[in-house]
Amino acid sequence: MAKKTESYAEAVAKLRRLVAEIEGNELDVDLLSEKVQEATRLIKLCKEKLYKVDEDVKKVLEELDA
Amino acid sequence: MPQKIKEEENVPQSYSLYELTTQVRRTLEDSFADAYWVRAETSDVRVNAASGHCYLEFVEKSPETNQLIAKARGSIWARTFRLLKPYFELETGQAFTSGLKVLVKVTVEFHELYGFSLNVLDIDPSYTLGDMMRRRQEIIRRLQDEGVFDLNRELVLPELTRRLAVITSPTAAGYEDFTNQLLNNPQGYPFYIKLFPALMQGEKTEESVIAALDRIYEHRDLFDAVIIIRGGGATSDLNSFDSYLLAANCAQFPLPILTGIGHERDDTIVDLVAHTRLKTPTAVAAFLLERMDRVAGELSLLQQQLVQDTERILLAQRNFLQLLSTRFPERVLNRIERSRSELHRLAAALPSAVSTLLARQDKGLEQMKGRIRSAVENRCSRERQFVLLTEQFIRMASPDYVLKRGYSLALKDGRIVKSPAGLTSGDSLTVRWADGEAQTEIKKLNISSDNG
Repeated sequence: MAKKTESYAEAVAKLRRLVAEIEGNELDVDLLSEKVQEATRLIKLCKEKLYKVDEDVKKVLEELDA
Repeated sequence: MPQKIKEEENVPQSYSLYELTTQVRRTLEDSFADAYWVRAETSDVRVNAASGHCYLEFVEKSPETNQLIAKARGSIWARTFRLLKPYFELETGQAFTSGLKVLVKVTVEFHELYGFSLNVLDIDPSYTLGDMMRRRQEIIRRLQDEGVFDLNRELVLPELTRRLAVITSPTAAGYEDFTNQLLNNPQGYPFYIKLFPALMQGEKTEESVIAALDRIYEHRDLFDAVIIIRGGGATSDLNSFDSYLLAANCAQFPLPILTGIGHERDDTIVDLVAHTRLKTPTAVAAFLLERMDRVAGELSLLQQQLVQDTERILLAQRNFLQLLSTRFPERVLNRIERSRSELHRLAAALPSAVSTLLARQDKGLEQMKGRIRSAVENRCSRERQFVLLTEQFIRMASPDYVLKRGYSLALKDGRIVKSPAGLTSGDSLTVRWADGEAQTEIKKLNISSDNG
């Protein structure tokens, strides 16, 4: 179920939607747990993208002839 | 006319070079004794490092063909130049270099050895400024007319802008400040900086920066934005950043361009077309960090909100469940009690409902009985009447009744004779009356012709 391909912008957009839905209060508890799990995954993904050094990017740029 | 110097009779009248040039000098000095304001373009500007004197060429080009139509050497003596240069550069924000339209106050000089030249006494920076503004406006209008002026500014800066292609001179102090500030940020955001070296001052700047943009273009997928920065310093040569070609290249570049060219005066045209214009390299770094802070801030806000909302919903659900479980027995008992009393009420009401029903049925039956009786009576009396009438009719129609009223019957061999046909004279007939018979014999027959 976890797609690992979202960009930061996509992930955070989904997250905004999820939080708004949860805030909207119209979910039953089963759905809530599903949504919270998804939101937690997105937060983790965003944090990784935000703070973790992407070694691939680093390497590609180091090898690039300017 | 110069005074004649006679040497040899057979040689035509002539002057030594010095004699002639001296005469020219004197004539010029007499005819152009004042100082004059002259409009011209600077060219080949150079400063003698030792003496501090500035030497240059003044030129004028034909507005139509751009060909040189006038040219004169010029000089600014060190004493004057030391004052004029900072004044000019402060006023115009523009280094005193070649290619500027200037209005200068000059004296006309002629020297026997060095020839014609103009010595600069003063300069009017507002003329140059006006010309620069006009050229700037022309370039801006041209970029607008070509529809490229807003292109770079319309690009969207990615939420995470941190893969940066930096165009600058690697030796510039500004570059070091920029990388230090980004790479040592206290929040630990990762940035990826790739330097694309270029000359940032002098006449080759335009060409060099465009070449760097071209190299970035090849790898544009690897970057989020292009940064053009330059160490600050004193007023320096910004002409290149007001060039049409460089501005057009920047405006149409597919990645957002951030500038920190480091200058005091109004924006250069490159600044105007760039996605985001900042004053200095440090300001660019601060801008990028602030964006990351904002992104990180939103993320942690979303996280907080998620936790709060989830807790709130779960709490509400739990409370609701609890409420249900405490209230449930009471509600069930209530419900049962209500059902039971309803049953009681129904049961009590049943007998009287039944007897009412029966009474109503009974009454119906009584009525039915009466209606049947009278219907039967009607029918009987009608039938009786009919029988009486029929009896009377039958009585009146019987032979006896007819005979009693005076009719008689003729019988032959015991059968009623209805017609004389078939009878012959001499046949014997029995005539019957109501109260007797007679034996007769037919003497004569009259048969009506219409009988038959």
